[in-house]
Amino acid sequence: MSLFLIVALPFLGALLPGLMNSAGRQAVGGVTFTVSLAAFIGLLTNLPAILAGEVVQTGFNWFPQLGLNVTLMLDGLGFFFALLILGIGMLIIVYGRHYLAREDNMGEFFTYLLLFQGAMVGIVLSDNILLLLIFWELTSLSSFLLIGYWKHLEAGRQGARMALTVTGMGGLAMIGGMLILGNIAGSYDLSVILQNREAIQADPLYVPALLLILIGCFTKSAQFPFHFWLPHAMAAPTPVSAYLHSATMVKAGIFLMARMWPVLSGTPEWFYVVTTAGLITMVLGAVIALFKHDLKALLAFSTVSHLGLITMLLGTGTAFGAMVAVFHILNHATFKAALFMSAGIVDHETKTRDIRILGGLRHLMPITFVIATLGALSMAGIPLLNGFLSKEMMLKEMEKTYLFGPEWLVPALVTFGSLMSAAYCFRLIGHTFLGKKRDPESYPAKPHDPGPGLWLPPAILIVLVVAIGVAPFLAAPFVKLVTASVIGSVAEVPDYTIKIWHGVNTPLIMSIIAIVGGLIVLALFKPLLAVWDKTPRPEAKSIFDDIIAALLMWARWAIHPLHNGAFTRYAMIATIAILAAGYHAWTTGTVGEAVRAVQPIGWVEVAGWVMLAAATVGLASLHHNRLLALILIGIVGLMVSVGFVYLSAPDLAMTQITVEVVTIILLLLALNFLPNVTPEESPLWKRIRDVSVAAVGGLAAMALSYHYLLRDAVVAPISEFHLANSYKGGGGTNVVNVILVDFRGFDTYAEIIVLGIAALLIYALTETLLSGPVRARLLNRVPDKPLSGTQHPMMMVVLTRVMMPVVLMVGFYIFLRGHNEPGGGFIAGLVVSIGVVMQYMASGFAWAEDRQRFPYHGIIGAGVLIAGLTGIGSWFVGKPFMTTDFTYVRIPPFQEFELATALLFDLGVFLAVLGAVMLSLESFSRLARRAHIKDSDEPMDIDPSRDQAVPNTNPEGV
Amino acid sequence: MLSQDLNTILPEIVISLYAMGALLAAVYTVKDKAGPLLVWLTSGLFVAVAFWIGTTGEGATEAFSGMFQDDAFSRFAKVAILLSAAAVLLMSQEYMQKRDLLRFEYPLLIALAVVGMMMMVSAGDLMALYMGLELQSLALYVVASLRRDSVKSTEAGLKYFVLGALSSGLLLYGASLTYGFAGTTTFAGIIEATEDGVSLGLLFGLVFLSAGFAFKVSAAPFHMWTPDVYEGSPTPVTAFFATAPKIAAMALFARVVHDAFGNSISDWQQIVAFLSVVSMFLGAIAAIGQRDIKRLMAYSSIAHMGFALMGLAAGTAFGVQAMLVYLGIYVAMNIGTFAFILSMEKDGMPVTDIHALQMYSKREPLKAVAMLVLLFSLAGVPPMLGFFGKLYVLQAAYGAGLAWLAVAGVIASVIGAFYYLRIVYFMYFGEERDEALDTGSSPVLWAFLVGSAAVMVVGVVNLFGIEPLAEAASLALVN
Repeated sequence: MSLFLIVALPFLGALLPGLMNSAGRQAVGGVTFTVSLAAFIGLLTNLPAILAGEVVQTGFNWFPQLGLNVTLMLDGLGFFFALLILGIGMLIIVYGRHYLAREDNMGEFFTYLLLFQGAMVGIVLSDNILLLLIFWELTSLSSFLLIGYWKHLEAGRQGARMALTVTGMGGLAMIGGMLILGNIAGSYDLSVILQNREAIQADPLYVPALLLILIGCFTKSAQFPFHFWLPHAMAAPTPVSAYLHSATMVKAGIFLMARMWPVLSGTPEWFYVVTTAGLITMVLGAVIALFKHDLKALLAFSTVSHLGLITMLLGTGTAFGAMVAVFHILNHATFKAALFMSAGIVDHETKTRDIRILGGLRHLMPITFVIATLGALSMAGIPLLNGFLSKEMMLKEMEKTYLFGPEWLVPALVTFGSLMSAAYCFRLIGHTFLGKKRDPESYPAKPHDPGPGLWLPPAILIVLVVAIGVAPFLAAPFVKLVTASVIGSVAEVPDYTIKIWHGVNTPLIMSIIAIVGGLIVLALFKPLLAVWDKTPRPEAKSIFDDIIAALLMWARWAIHPLHNGAFTRYAMIATIAILAAGYHAWTTGTVGEAVRAVQPIGWVEVAGWVMLAAATVGLASLHHNRLLALILIGIVGLMVSVGFVYLSAPDLAMTQITVEVVTIILLLLALNFLPNVTPEESPLWKRIRDVSVAAVGGLAAMALSYHYLLRDAVVAPISEFHLANSYKGGGGTNVVNVILVDFRGFDTYAEIIVLGIAALLIYALTETLLSGPVRARLLNRVPDKPLSGTQHPMMMVVLTRVMMPVVLMVGFYIFLRGHNEPGGGFIAGLVVSIGVVMQYMASGFAWAEDRQRFPYHGIIGAGVLIAGLTGIGSWFVGKPFMTTDFTYVRIPPFQEFELATALLFDLGVFLAVLGAVMLSLESFSRLARRAHIKDSDEPMDIDPSRDQAVPNTNPEGV
Repeated sequence: MLSQDLNTILPEIVISLYAMGALLAAVYTVKDKAGPLLVWLTSGLFVAVAFWIGTTGEGATEAFSGMFQDDAFSRFAKVAILLSAAAVLLMSQEYMQKRDLLRFEYPLLIALAVVGMMMMVSAGDLMALYMGLELQSLALYVVASLRRDSVKSTEAGLKYFVLGALSSGLLLYGASLTYGFAGTTTFAGIIEATEDGVSLGLLFGLVFLSAGFAFKVSAAPFHMWTPDVYEGSPTPVTAFFATAPKIAAMALFARVVHDAFGNSISDWQQIVAFLSVVSMFLGAIAAIGQRDIKRLMAYSSIAHMGFALMGLAAGTAFGVQAMLVYLGIYVAMNIGTFAFILSMEKDGMPVTDIHALQMYSKREPLKAVAMLVLLFSLAGVPPMLGFFGKLYVLQAAYGAGLAWLAVAGVIASVIGAFYYLRIVYFMYFGEERDEALDTGSSPVLWAFLVGSAAVMVVGVVNLFGIEPLAEAASLALVN
């Protein structure tokens, strides 16, 4: 049968049990069994090819770019494992059908089981290691579902979590190893990888790859230090434990190590890591198993121990070791599955798995007794059973293995492990089945042998156990065949005859020591248990929980300071990161020679910069005194404007200084609303920290600008184009203005629109605020300082009014000259608005509002419209939008001056700026008015005309 | 010429006109009552435009003297953006309506953000780039603080705004340095200027541009806004943040480094690789300690962006392809996950604590399985689709000689798996609690959840054929 079909059958079949759930338990079990049987038969059809030493391969491309293809391969090793998976699978299905209670959802259970089966078969038949990885994690997933099948069991939860966490993460780690391996070999197909032993072992990434793959294998096969999850997963229903945790899933790690054996083994790294882990696992598992009272826990730890044994054998890297490993996989699968099922029977019939409560079951459950005893004796390594054979071979292999420390260490440890192993096997038999006959009522449930549905599957396995044990020559050719496919071309299959009697040799003596010692230990069990219970020892589960808790703590501890929600923290991290990036660029980039000389520094410049710096520092340190701070801000702004003048940028200077005035006025208005207390200062160390970050950032920015100022840009600066074309194309000698209204007129047009929108938004926001709860708060606000008696000082009123026409004149002048000299609509707009704002401040809001002819909205709109229409105008002469034109006119008595369409556009800018500034300032001051200022009707506090007795009918007249 | 240009940007024009028209129409008529209708209209329009772009576009066209690029790459990104935006909009309707958040501006702001994103992925010039970016960001700032009566939401909006403005500033600084030393703002011009290597000025430009992009894709160490904004924003908005803008920002990043700085891959490769590795680890470690699922998803998105950046760091066409495939898969996963988060409520109130999911599988087996699939996929566990995305970027990084990055990515994914699996554990094996979540949810959310989970499983067949499309897209960018 095609390999595809063998893999696909369980997956496709997985649908059936779920769908047929209503057809009854018999039908569900039957269809599941049929599916497995079909796959099994399909596998057997490939037997002739395997026996002939061929490798059956098939495949198609899936994601060729990723190297992920569906390529399957069946060789001796794969066949062996597939046989175990499907064969034991069928037995488990029969067993599970009878094991599950009536109220359990059998369709669900068998669906998961078949999914799992398919994934396992997929692992062992995969040729592509990435495909293998997919099946690998599918087993984790489906086993998770299977373990979680009995959700009502409290104990199952922790187990499932550990199983999932440990194996899932291990599988992810393996991705890395597989990637490295595939990249070294140039292909992800095992058939290619296995040919590249030298290339892979010589690669510098061999060790990371090895470790990552081993993490995957060790977690899956519960090897030290990941051995702890397996016993805790035993809360699953017994068929699951028997199938997953003894025969198949936990062997996946072993399988992979065997599969990779030709390329990975043979190096010191492999030897030390794998053998050591295996040895520790074997001894540790055996010791713990002895003292477990739960039948399944005992078996679980014994599984851990035996897996360790197999790992250790693979770790030796010798061909003989591999052969023993293969043989023991076979033997372990048979006797351990049988034992698990017997344990399940005991649990099922007596409703307990506690060895301490059990005993004397020999008389009540004779069939189960025979099965379990034979299985346990095989596990203990008693002759004439298969466990004996592989154990002898194992001892023979380990007897000459030298790891660390004295030479006798490894043999001694292995013997000790076997001794403990024998001891728990004897305990299993002795404390569960032997002992005196007891009243059936003394058990939680009345025990009796179950029907054949439950005992037949383990019995079949026990037949195998005995058959191989008595007649090893039956299994020998098969074992050698599989060994040949494990070791590939690396070594020859050892010429060793598997037989019961090799004469009296060291392994036999070690074995006898183990068995006799095991009996002695069992005899001394009670005192030993007392000692064991008193000995403090690390409990894997609590360690796992502690690790998780510590991890959580650590993660919080590490992350919280970074994400404490404070904005300053974020800004600091960003600044540091940018500084680091800048430093990186600075050190790796090529720094050219400076091409410009540093200009001499005069006293004036120094004085200017000192004032700027002093004002800035003063601002930071004097922030408690707001009025002072405001003045300092003014100094900063002023110095910046002076700086612009010094650097020959009069337009910027003018803009800067007007903007400065407007903002200071705005701040003055806002000053009154600030709370009485200034923000609390953080402790000194924090300030030092923040100041240093800020200072480094500032200095870095300075260094960067300094660097650029001394060097020419790569290409000619764009300013040259503007200088050359400003007069020619735009008819103006003031390049800045020409850029604004001509070259970049389109931008300016959009900008004034944005400006207008911003002003309208401010207006809208104030309106909303004033109609909301803020209004009440403002109305009830009591100013904490008494108001000045003179709200509108006469001097100021008079002065501002006198100045008004002057300001307007200046604005007009600046506006007109803008195209050729510093100035322009933008600055003019600001200048005029200052003049108007002064009226508001001096004479009061009501007075000024009364005299306002046009609403500011309208002024903004008019500005935008004029600018837009100017642009459109150029369409009428067949030019694109916003093409400017200019001419020279002379209107007596003025001198001749240039009239450009740009001027009209500038008018739009002027109006929009004026309107926007005024609208936003007015909006702000409305807040102030609501608050406390009872605006007097009088424009002046002192009005000379008021003293006259005649009531003034015209309060506006001054 | 102009008509040709306009024709090229017709999809963007259509959406913009729709958004402006609908805004005006709604504001003068029924206002918020039009919310649900506009949500459906907008998503419908998105899907239609996606279909339009996907089926009719071919070859590479330039508009406005190269400022706007219409090529396979931009089309791939646009279709992904439009479809994910449509999905998130549909998912949000019921949630928003129930909580009286469904302002009629919401779908229209999303539409404007989408136009910005379409602009970003098509940018062929630093100016166009910035314009698109700001259009997107400004719309998103508003949506983040949509829930005006909630302190958290307004705080989220404000933080997003200030940090976003900071990043825009950085980006502009970088752009101006680049302009100063390349003499042009077009990508085509910049790449010409860098033929003989990158000068220090351009290198600084590149560094600052990258920092700005890192902010936008929320790559560590410029990720700080992400957890706060994800947590504070209304959940549908969070869902939106986690999908379309990520594609747009990553695509923009890819476009700039390849189109403008394609001659100096070694210069930015280190930066991107650094961002990638820091993001992966920070995302993985930080998420471990989280209980709030939205915050957790924020860190998860940081980690995922790290993986996507790994593809970009490869600096090859295959790397870009890997990045695109990764993003596609990531967005599909996130839509499902957020559909689930949106349906998490108790007595009608939204719940975001992951402990509320204890034993969820018992009450809602199907949704629990769907979420299980999605979480496994997010963790990158085979055979879910998420694994293929990871495999792609790992392969790309490894193939480009960044073996250390690939191995680091694997380790980060192992760490990251922990918190996804923890949620699975809660759902299947947690302790039974009284304060169980409500069962049953809107059919729309259910459909997106289950559909997305199904995609994660069925998609393994051929990734729904996005592989060749992503390849074509990457070849349009890298040549």
